[in-house]
Amino acid sequence: MSSLIKLDKVTKIYLSTANEYQALKGVSLQVDRGEMISIVGASGSGKSTLMNIMGFLDHCTSGNYFFDNQDVSHLNSEELSSIRRQKIGFVFQSFFLLPRLNALQNVMLPLFYHGEEKEKSQQKALNMLHKVGMENFSHHKPNQLSGGQQQRVAIARALAGDPEIILADELTGSLDSKTGREIMNLFLYLNREENRTIVIVTHDPQVSRVCQRIITIKDGCVA
Amino acid sequence: MKWTMHVNEGLLNLFSAKLRSILALLGILVGTASVVAMMSGGELATNEALKQFKTLGTDLLAVNISEMSEQPVGSQNNLSLQQANGILSSDKNILAVAPYTQLYSPMQFNGHDINGSVLGVTESFSKVTHVEMAAGRFISDLDHYAAFCVIGDEVYQQIKKNTLLNPLGQQIQIGKNIFTIVGIAKPWIENSFVYASVDHAVLLPVQATLILSKYSNINNIIVKLADHSASDAVQINIENYLRQVNPGKKYFFRSAKELVAHMAKQSEILTVFLGLIGGVSLLVGGIGVMNIMLVSVVERKREIGIRLAVGATRSDIRSLFLTEAVMLAAAGGLLGIIIGIAIAFLIALFWQWEFTFFLLPPLVGFFVSAITGVFFGFYPAHKASQLDPIQALRSE
Repeated sequence: MSSLIKLDKVTKIYLSTANEYQALKGVSLQVDRGEMISIVGASGSGKSTLMNIMGFLDHCTSGNYFFDNQDVSHLNSEELSSIRRQKIGFVFQSFFLLPRLNALQNVMLPLFYHGEEKEKSQQKALNMLHKVGMENFSHHKPNQLSGGQQQRVAIARALAGDPEIILADELTGSLDSKTGREIMNLFLYLNREENRTIVIVTHDPQVSRVCQRIITIKDGCVA
Repeated sequence: MKWTMHVNEGLLNLFSAKLRSILALLGILVGTASVVAMMSGGELATNEALKQFKTLGTDLLAVNISEMSEQPVGSQNNLSLQQANGILSSDKNILAVAPYTQLYSPMQFNGHDINGSVLGVTESFSKVTHVEMAAGRFISDLDHYAAFCVIGDEVYQQIKKNTLLNPLGQQIQIGKNIFTIVGIAKPWIENSFVYASVDHAVLLPVQATLILSKYSNINNIIVKLADHSASDAVQINIENYLRQVNPGKKYFFRSAKELVAHMAKQSEILTVFLGLIGGVSLLVGGIGVMNIMLVSVVERKREIGIRLAVGATRSDIRSLFLTEAVMLAAAGGLLGIIIGIAIAFLIALFWQWEFTFFLLPPLVGFFVSAITGVFFGFYPAHKASQLDPIQALRSE
């Protein structure tokens, strides 16, 4: 299997006026295509920072990052936006749906930034909502949906741009355990049936258990 | 495609904060309204003035004769009627000459005092200044020294109120002389070339006026020119002629051209003044838009983070906020245009002008408000686009 993500001695230092804080202390890891892995660690261990760097939301201080065999450490923000738009889908703990848009419009949002035509993106978004079992809620606003339903819409949004990889940050953290299991089943389906690469940041052992591989982060290093 | 989406989302955002949006666009509204009202009002005033000129004729030239300061008043070398009428031959573009004189003298009708002045005129005066008769006839050149007079509308109203008599054929006492009323004039339209009011006057043959008082002399002449004649050249010819026949006087000329220039100057001052008000309110309005957009950026930090996470570029974010600011300003502009036109309409109504719709002021108003939106919306939009995605996502 070819590697999709390769981190080589990646560090991240947060500078503040008083002191500096080293969140990552030389992390090296590799994620292959079609893998479903989880990154676990206590809070403050640096696992969220790691995910943000993997998703181009943040820059590493030193080290190299190869995404799809391309060194992305030195790309500018427009170039990173472009890769993120085409190849990465995010799922967040608190869903991060836009409250003023309905489910369908939320799923259409990445397609809008892809510059797709309205009719086409609408059809695609409906397909994605169908995949996550939310086709009957396409015109509901986020505040009319339960937590699990919102997370399904958020997953549909992550899938809309047909990304290479889905990065999920504590995706079951705001859900009860039953709903959490349903969401994980959906992820397993996406990984096994659609062969999608998935990286899940979590501290929930129930979540990490179902993944093929677990990477533990402790004090900014891979344990 | 992207723009229509930005517009749709912008509308959604503006509508979800209605009160705030309305307050923000109020300043732009006032600014645009005053710009549009000012421009439309100015155009209406110019139109009205031109219309007045068209009815009176833009072809008049007023000549005012005054004494040199060292000469005693009432000296013997006054312009004679013949000399005044001789102006007619000084330039081939002159169609008519109407010399007149004005004097103040106690007047009585049937024992009642009449308020008004005495105007000594010739037959041509009625044609040149458009005096129309309600009854009887105007002063004729054949009247010479005859004791006939024509009364203006206001004088007629005074007589009617006091005596209930039809004044035609009746006698009026002017100073110590008795004149027979041979005509009543219709209400007269003010004319900026005549320094007297026909409505408030009793009109006599000019020769009769000259003997009525030794202080009266022909000190005003209205000259009617052929259409499209060069008033400057005619003016020089008239002045040369008058200096020749009657040296030692000062001659002042007033042409339609000069009057129009004077009016333009006046409306220019008004335009600058109102423009200043419009500019200041647009500035204030622009700052209002900027303020609201800055608040909006802070409030929507997380939204910005989400958009960045799903693939928006920084320029996408900038466009989104800029579109909103421009739409806010343009909405204020559109409302301002409507109100501005309404104000112009009310101005026209108040002054009893004819209302005409001009396309230019609304276009300028809309353009200016949109530019204000771009100018004051740019900074907040830029600020939004430079947010760090992680911090934006973390914010509540």
